[in-house]
Amino acid sequence: MRALRGLRVLLLGVSLGLPLAACSTTGGNPQAHDPYEQTNRDIFDLDVRLDRAILLPTAQAYNTVVPGFARDGVHNFLLNLNSPVILTNDMLQGEIGRGGQTLARFVLNTTIGIGGLIDIAGKIGIPYHDEDFGQTLGVWGADEGPYLVLPFFGPSNPRDLTGDVVDIAFDPNTYISYNYKFYWSLGRGVLSVIDLRARNATTLAGIERGSVDYYASVRSLYRQNRANEIANGKQDVTNLPDF
Amino acid sequence: MTNLSSPHATQPSPARRMVLMMALLLALPFTFAVQSAHAASPAEAFIDQNVVKGLSILGDKSITEQQRRDKFRTFLTGLTDLKRIALFTLGPAKRTATDAEKAQFVDAFRDFAVAIYETRLSNYSGQTLKVTGSQTTGRGDTIVNAMIIDPHASSAADKNLPVAFRVSDDGGKLVVIDVNVLGVWLAIEERDQFSSFLGDHGNNVGALVAHLKDLTAQFRSGAALPDQKQQ
Repeated sequence: MRALRGLRVLLLGVSLGLPLAACSTTGGNPQAHDPYEQTNRDIFDLDVRLDRAILLPTAQAYNTVVPGFARDGVHNFLLNLNSPVILTNDMLQGEIGRGGQTLARFVLNTTIGIGGLIDIAGKIGIPYHDEDFGQTLGVWGADEGPYLVLPFFGPSNPRDLTGDVVDIAFDPNTYISYNYKFYWSLGRGVLSVIDLRARNATTLAGIERGSVDYYASVRSLYRQNRANEIANGKQDVTNLPDF
Repeated sequence: MTNLSSPHATQPSPARRMVLMMALLLALPFTFAVQSAHAASPAEAFIDQNVVKGLSILGDKSITEQQRRDKFRTFLTGLTDLKRIALFTLGPAKRTATDAEKAQFVDAFRDFAVAIYETRLSNYSGQTLKVTGSQTTGRGDTIVNAMIIDPHASSAADKNLPVAFRVSDDGGKLVVIDVNVLGVWLAIEERDQFSSFLGDHGNNVGALVAHLKDLTAQFRSGAALPDQKQQ
């Protein structure tokens, strides 16, 4: 769970960036809820440099060495591990039906799907959806707070950051003791990041090319997408800006 | 059918969904074909019909690649109100910019938008777009909801991606003024970028125009990823 949340923020903050050091700006953007913009941009630049130096080359090697079916299996497996966290948040949001979907997916994919390697549930019409405690807080009415960019983890805000921490408590792996737990957890996190970056290397390069201000682009995408996730895709269109 | 350069992930994790969304923002625009005849409102019919038109351009093997690009440009500029979109993306600077600056910006924005979409034309691989319904915004516009169906997606979840078109009635002529993919409105995202750029450049619309022209030239030349923020 934590790994997948890290996945999201790493994707946005580390994998998507452009060199932004020369782009550091003035003191904040109220419309974007970004009072710490100068600092955020500097951290974003750091994340981008780390991506270029470490993550992207690793992801490219992963794509080259590991065959496609194996990468798909790894991807399915990683998402399946996140099911308990999703289910907990489904319940906390009162989404009983979606919780049932999550449970059914977990049972089917873990058993028939060989430990989650195969998305059997998806093939029979039970689609994946995501939930996390940041979304749950949003459903409960919590404001997102100021936009933040975290070292290594990219875009966030106090609500989502809180959600990341709480989601650790929802993950059964947190409470289970077994040999080599540290290495398992580390491997899960690292593999999640590589999986995500590898699957989107080409796409992200194209996105970079189309951005006038990549930091601002990622910020807008992050905030709009999170709002959509909280609304489960059912956004209120009556408040759209006038053209 | 919509031509999308979607990656082949299996399931949309939060990050995956974000990536798809961003990819679609670049790749989606108007290269689509309709899958169903659902058309309960004029706006829905408008989207349906233009999906067919867009597909016919993409699938026309009797013309050269350059002719296809030219036809698609004409199609795109006719389907959308790019001037209106451009002025919206200018944000607060629209109030202070001179008429000449606005005109230059609109031209640069149009070229930029078309250049982005032209680079995606070759990626069409059979995706379809199915209109599923519509709703009004309260500002006289209609949101036409649709689903992009990707037959090549490796998972059921990625096979159906929600999109929406904001359709406006411009004096009796319907035009698209914004596109939403996975909850993100493209024009709003562009406005956020441009506002930030202008904030960094003293609201100098000329600087934004010059930057857009540079990016457009890079797109058309197929140049490698530029260090866009090293300004």
